[in-house]
Amino acid sequence: MTDARRKPAVFAVDDPRLVVADMGEAQRTPANPVVVTDIANELVTVAPPAGRRLPWGTLFWSAMSGLVLMALGLAVTHLVEDLYARAPWLGALGFALAFIAALALMGVILREIFGLARLTTVEALRQRALAVIESDDRDGGRALVTDMLSLTKRIPRLARGRARLADHRGDIIDGRDLVRLAERELMSPLDGEARRLVLAASKRVSVVTAISPRAAIDMIFVLINALRMVRQLAVLYGGRPGALGVLRLLRQVVSHLAVTGGVGVADSVVQQVIGHGLATRLSARLGEGMVNGLLTARLGLLTIDLVRPLPFHELPRPALNDLVGTLLRPSEEGGGA
Amino acid sequence: MTPTISEIFEQARLATRAFTEFGGHLLHPTVRLGVTGLSRAGKTVFITALLHGLLRGGRFPVFEPLSSGRIAGAKLSPQPDDAVPRFDYERHVRSLVIEREWPDSTRQISELRIVIDYQTGGGAMRTLTLDIVDYPGEWLLDLPLLDKSYEQWSAETLTYLRRTTRQPLPTQFLDRIGTLDPFAPADEYAAIEAARLFTDHLQARRKEHPTLSVIGPGRFLMPGDLAGSPALTFTPLALPTEGEPPGGSAWSMMRRRYDSYRDAVVRPFFRDHFARLDRQIVLVDVLGAFGAGPEAVRDLQDAMVAVLDCFRVGRSGWLGALFSPRADRILFAATKADQLHHAAHDRLEAILKLITEDAVARAGNAGAEVDVIALAAVRATREALVRGEGGGLPSIVGTVAAGEWGAGHCFDGMTEMAFFPGDLPDENAQGADFRSIRFRPPMLEQREGGIPALPHIRLDRALQFLIGDRLR
Repeated sequence: MTDARRKPAVFAVDDPRLVVADMGEAQRTPANPVVVTDIANELVTVAPPAGRRLPWGTLFWSAMSGLVLMALGLAVTHLVEDLYARAPWLGALGFALAFIAALALMGVILREIFGLARLTTVEALRQRALAVIESDDRDGGRALVTDMLSLTKRIPRLARGRARLADHRGDIIDGRDLVRLAERELMSPLDGEARRLVLAASKRVSVVTAISPRAAIDMIFVLINALRMVRQLAVLYGGRPGALGVLRLLRQVVSHLAVTGGVGVADSVVQQVIGHGLATRLSARLGEGMVNGLLTARLGLLTIDLVRPLPFHELPRPALNDLVGTLLRPSEEGGGA
Repeated sequence: MTPTISEIFEQARLATRAFTEFGGHLLHPTVRLGVTGLSRAGKTVFITALLHGLLRGGRFPVFEPLSSGRIAGAKLSPQPDDAVPRFDYERHVRSLVIEREWPDSTRQISELRIVIDYQTGGGAMRTLTLDIVDYPGEWLLDLPLLDKSYEQWSAETLTYLRRTTRQPLPTQFLDRIGTLDPFAPADEYAAIEAARLFTDHLQARRKEHPTLSVIGPGRFLMPGDLAGSPALTFTPLALPTEGEPPGGSAWSMMRRRYDSYRDAVVRPFFRDHFARLDRQIVLVDVLGAFGAGPEAVRDLQDAMVAVLDCFRVGRSGWLGALFSPRADRILFAATKADQLHHAAHDRLEAILKLITEDAVARAGNAGAEVDVIALAAVRATREALVRGEGGGLPSIVGTVAAGEWGAGHCFDGMTEMAFFPGDLPDENAQGADFRSIRFRPPMLEQREGGIPALPHIRLDRALQFLIGDRLR
């Protein structure tokens, strides 16, 4: 900027070269003869993390599923040929059925791929939000808000928040404040619902574990319940994961749990010991129920961290302690009686 | 310099009052917001816009308590000091919104109190009282005098006057001073004559450069109710570097008057309005200084350093909180940011950081939270892009104030123009080809139920920083 410094200049408002930026309804002057467009609308693309090792596992599974698909295709072709040999109309019916099945399979695969891509988008958004909070970059913040709006455009309960946020997009607000604003407008209605979901799931688990006649049954129940909870949370925060997406999320959550388990224990060890101790003294099954419930709750909180498109910056992160209080209450009341 | 008896007495007085106020603040939480700024920095407009936003529920997305709906309402309430005039909020709003004129320059100190009803995050209903003081920015130039003796002040002022190259030059006054012998017996008439020349020169400078006046004393520029009193009848003198004034000489008379000015005018002003601030915002008209040239920028920098030296800033322990409250958050704001396209705001902030570097570092070391932003309390312009080579010129559009010159003709105050102010100079403030133009306050849509919200730039961020944490 040292050599080519631009000189001051004055232009008439009806100059054809003039483009006026959109400032939002409330600030526009009534008599506005100029064209209104939005000039800050560039999307920032995020490069995927480079330099990974060769994914042998993925390769194996891809190759295997390819083989299975081919075997399936071969079997179906044989079947259709046999049907044609028996009677032409039977063959035609078989062919039509096979075609529909193939189409549906394509649909399922597409949906899975779409779901996985969406999870990656959410992850990328969170990283970008962190970067913007760090750098306070205005353009990055605006791009992020635009992307957040398009990500959440299918969530009906955010209609009002979205409208307010979109209204402020034209204002001059710095990057960090924009992220805070987006979090407040878009995430706070969802956070409460997410807490409710996690709490309901863990209560279900603890009750079922306490009353189920066999260990195998509650194992299966805990698993199904966890999958359901993960899926619900992902959907709540704007992701639409298919079966593969949920599995991937669950894997991430469990590996997270293994890593942060030690840290997580510290914040709630008192409640766990007390809760467990009290409950076990009453009954071993009740104690197990408590432990399973707590585990589910922690799983839920970790899932929230993974599926929430914005990091917890302005709003408080839900803590296990909040949930535990609600979770323990019925059993403590039961103990008192 | 060893503290004199009067200074110790002054400190004791401040401590006592702080202690008595502390008890009251436990029951009714109060924030004293210090709005600091030299003349024409935009103090009155800032206060008006802030009050208007709080009272009418402005468009403040970043100010969390208001945007999340926790503020139930705010109302003006009688101010604590009966002896101080009330800040004429209604007149200023009318002037901004209906007449579309900026408020006149402030001539008198004034004060206003606003009570905010809000609900805490936990659900309890609370009130927070906000006390705001407006005063002529010229008076701020007096604060550095608190720690200066007459001899120091005299030497510094004369050095500055001899060095300055800015029109109008103080030749007449300097010639007159040259003929005055500090050791001669005091001559009241000669003193009045010299003081008149001195005052005339200060006034002339101010007329020439309305945004800036680096040398005081401030009451010479804006005398308030003191015009003509002996406390305003002194001038700097060409003094020897050492020695004591003989009794009855011009030197000793001037020194006595300087001291009484300091004790009777400056000290009460400081004591009543600056010694016990909780939060502080320092408004700096960086753009105005750039428009006036490099010397103006240097003057501004010197003035800010001198003024900010006087404030009590930093975090205090519990004992300190009892007896000597300090401003624990201080915000530096480059005002009139609406004269730039937002793409240039980062650079404006960088320049302000540079100008206030020392003050920021000192406040940070003392434990205060510091932030620097570009701000427009009332946004008079819209943004636009003039297409052309090199990505086009990021410009602003607004109604140019009457009497401004540009593109070879004088504006009548009715035409809307697009304006590119030029690139801001880089960090070492060299080679500015920058011009600022005054715009009229924005035309607003009349909404049902009275006066609409005023547009602004980052006023909400300033509010969030200044009082957001007290409204949790």
